[in-house]
Amino acid sequence: MAQASFEGVVKRFGAVEAVRDLTLEVRDGELMVLVGPSGSGKTTALRMLAGLEAVDAGRIEIGSRVVNDVSPRDRDVAMVFQDYALYPQMTVRDNMAFGLRRRGLERAEVDRRVAETCRTLGLDELLDRRPRQLSGGQQQRVALGRALVRRPQVLLMDEPLSNLDAQLRVQARGEIKRLQSEVGTTMVYVTHDQLEALTLGERIAVMNDGRLEQVGTPEELYERPANVFVGGFIGSPAMSFLPGDDGAVVGVRPEHVRPWAEGLVGPLAGRVAFVEALGRETLVGVDTDAGARLVAAVEGRADYTVGEPIRVGLVAEGMRRFGADGRPA
Amino acid sequence: MTRSPGEPRRVAYLYLLPGFALFATFVLAPLMHAAWLSLFQWDGITPGTWVGLDNYKAVVSEADLRRAFGHSAVLLAFYAALPIAIGLLLAGAASRARIRGLTALRTVLFLPQVIALAVVAVTWRLIYQPTGWLGNFDLALPAVGLVGTWVAYGLTFVLFMAGVQKVPQSLYDAARVDGAGALREFFAVTLPALRGEIAVALTLTTIAALRNFDLVYLTTSGGPGDATTVPAFEVYQRAFRGGEVGGAAAIGVCLAAVIFVLTVGINRVADRAART
Amino acid sequence: MIDRREQVLAHVVLGLFALIALAPVAKIVVTALGEPGSFSTAWSDGHFGTYLRSSVLVAVAVVAISSVLSILAGYAFGLMRFRGDQLLFYVLLLGLMVPLEATIVPLYYDLRDLGLTDTYWALILPQAGVSVAFGTFWMRAFFRSVPRSLVEAARLDGASSWSTLWRVIFPLARPAVLTMVVLVFMWTWNEFLLALVMVSDEGLRTAPLGLAFFQGRNTTDEALLAAGALIVATPVVLVYLFLQRHFIRGMLSGAVKA
Repeated sequence: MAQASFEGVVKRFGAVEAVRDLTLEVRDGELMVLVGPSGSGKTTALRMLAGLEAVDAGRIEIGSRVVNDVSPRDRDVAMVFQDYALYPQMTVRDNMAFGLRRRGLERAEVDRRVAETCRTLGLDELLDRRPRQLSGGQQQRVALGRALVRRPQVLLMDEPLSNLDAQLRVQARGEIKRLQSEVGTTMVYVTHDQLEALTLGERIAVMNDGRLEQVGTPEELYERPANVFVGGFIGSPAMSFLPGDDGAVVGVRPEHVRPWAEGLVGPLAGRVAFVEALGRETLVGVDTDAGARLVAAVEGRADYTVGEPIRVGLVAEGMRRFGADGRPA
Repeated sequence: MTRSPGEPRRVAYLYLLPGFALFATFVLAPLMHAAWLSLFQWDGITPGTWVGLDNYKAVVSEADLRRAFGHSAVLLAFYAALPIAIGLLLAGAASRARIRGLTALRTVLFLPQVIALAVVAVTWRLIYQPTGWLGNFDLALPAVGLVGTWVAYGLTFVLFMAGVQKVPQSLYDAARVDGAGALREFFAVTLPALRGEIAVALTLTTIAALRNFDLVYLTTSGGPGDATTVPAFEVYQRAFRGGEVGGAAAIGVCLAAVIFVLTVGINRVADRAART
Repeated sequence: MIDRREQVLAHVVLGLFALIALAPVAKIVVTALGEPGSFSTAWSDGHFGTYLRSSVLVAVAVVAISSVLSILAGYAFGLMRFRGDQLLFYVLLLGLMVPLEATIVPLYYDLRDLGLTDTYWALILPQAGVSVAFGTFWMRAFFRSVPRSLVEAARLDGASSWSTLWRVIFPLARPAVLTMVVLVFMWTWNEFLLALVMVSDEGLRTAPLGLAFFQGRNTTDEALLAAGALIVATPVVLVYLFLQRHFIRGMLSGAVKA
């Protein structure tokens, strides 16, 4: 097990720069999540790490070895694909054994490893089934097993849970997290779901339009977003933005937007744009007279009607200032 | 696009090599050799003499050859136009009415496509025997043409059925609500949707019409007289019976050229029509 | 929703053309059965047994050779990127359009010079060449439909291109391969002009050619001729009846894609 790193990595598809000057370090044994909207370059970065895409500039290292020109099979990485990519005509056992056999491992060793991984993932009863006889969740676990059985230096995961229904996804997330702490393999996990990133990652790398916007722990990203994009992307419901003085932009999360009371910054007058009752809290959208859209989180049920005039205030400690260039002021 | 590390590139040529070698040796090389041969006057035994493009000029100047190509044009009506019309009729009928046993229908209608043309020729010669049409100067060509129609309308039907089944039911419903009868529905909804399939049908049937050898050889041998000669038959006659190898090669090259031009042309027109 | 009259009319029209399609076949069957023993006479005296054997030999050889080579070439075109792949593909497409009538003349004289006329090779090699063009085109279309992630998973697992082809992808290709086999078998079995030109030895005649000679020799006995015709047509028709879905789907998608 070792670390992996990108150093000034660039990837172009024709005239489009999919990944711009990416420099990122994945520490030994950590679960690093790459998150961003579609087109942000996160999947391309993962594929370059796997060796499935060529690197146009910069260096990729795995275990302190430069691997730019090393073929995927020699990089000691394994990958879980979004559509699982299980070999359709092989049994679960053969799916998991395939990679080991290709590398010439002895029969006994292959069987031993497959058995061990199956036990860890609870796949024992499924060993003789074919992928089309498995449910989505089971297929996902087999894909994970196929990757883990190789004991790779780095385990790569490309949105592995996006094809599962919501409930299953939450369950699988927990299992992956538990697995990672048990087995200790370095993992790089790609997702477009910021909530998934926040729950799973030890550290999160936010990407946008090919650029790395910020890398840090979930708390760092939530409390101290590096720029407007990260602030607006991380956290749900999203941060609201309003123009501050002298060209600055102020970001504030819904929990720091309250109906006007003394001690708050404001007041900001406006009209109710929408009301979303979530049970535990109610989100109230406010279109301020100044033209900004704020979202306030009010505890419990709140009785507002759309169009009703309203005054809100901001909690000072929750305000984040960003300069005109989007970076913190 | 640079390839990723370890992605097969040069090994691709190894995979291609055997198949392409076979293809190049027995399809491409002969084609070029045919072009070469067509520039000579040769009887196949003694050395040939260079004649340049004379063989090609003969295609337009010699009455026999003009007639052969003319017959091909006539056969186009029987081998292509008529089957397409019938196929459209049948597909229209099958799609509009609730037909049970579509698979069985398809199997039966497509059967003529599967039978060797040699067998088809022998069969129809038997059928035409009592009528004597194959021996009639004026009726022989249409008689052969009808055989071609018989062979082809199953193919066009199957093609158009597949196309019709891709038309969303909602289009038909909308037309019906607008009060369209069967005919209007056909021209307003079905026909435009089948543009692509018609192009394919036209291409396939036209090529079959131009290549037509087996049927002519085994029903009429080009006769009576030369009432049913076709270019492919002339190729055979001249190369292997008439000692005019160069001329035969030229006709073959012309056939290939016509097929090429027609194929590209039909598809170009279809593409443009689809874009409007 | 559509009225009864139209429904009946449609059925009548379809029924009519279905009958027309079947009628000649029925006539041949009836004619052949008209004279008892015509089949066995055709088989032995008419030598149709020999002709069938030749046809089987040639068809099996062409199918075997062209299938394997088509799978290999289609794999390269479908799943690999290499310099000249566009160009080579266009050449292939072009070759698909070349009719045998254009190449038969030089083929005959070249093979004659090589001493291969009047051998099975003269029938097998040219047809294999043409079938490889179709087969490569067909298999390429299939390989392109394979999910890229499957190929990548195999690559990460350390499989070579050869292992990936035969162990991972080929098991998925069975329907596509079956369709190709069936179509090539039919076209090869039914081929007439090539046999007519290349083969004069009676022992090498393929079935359609045998039928032609039979017709020439035999102008009066209709039942015998009909029996011969049936013997020639039956193998392909049988395969067709069992696998008609593959036949039809194959010809449709092949044509549309070309």
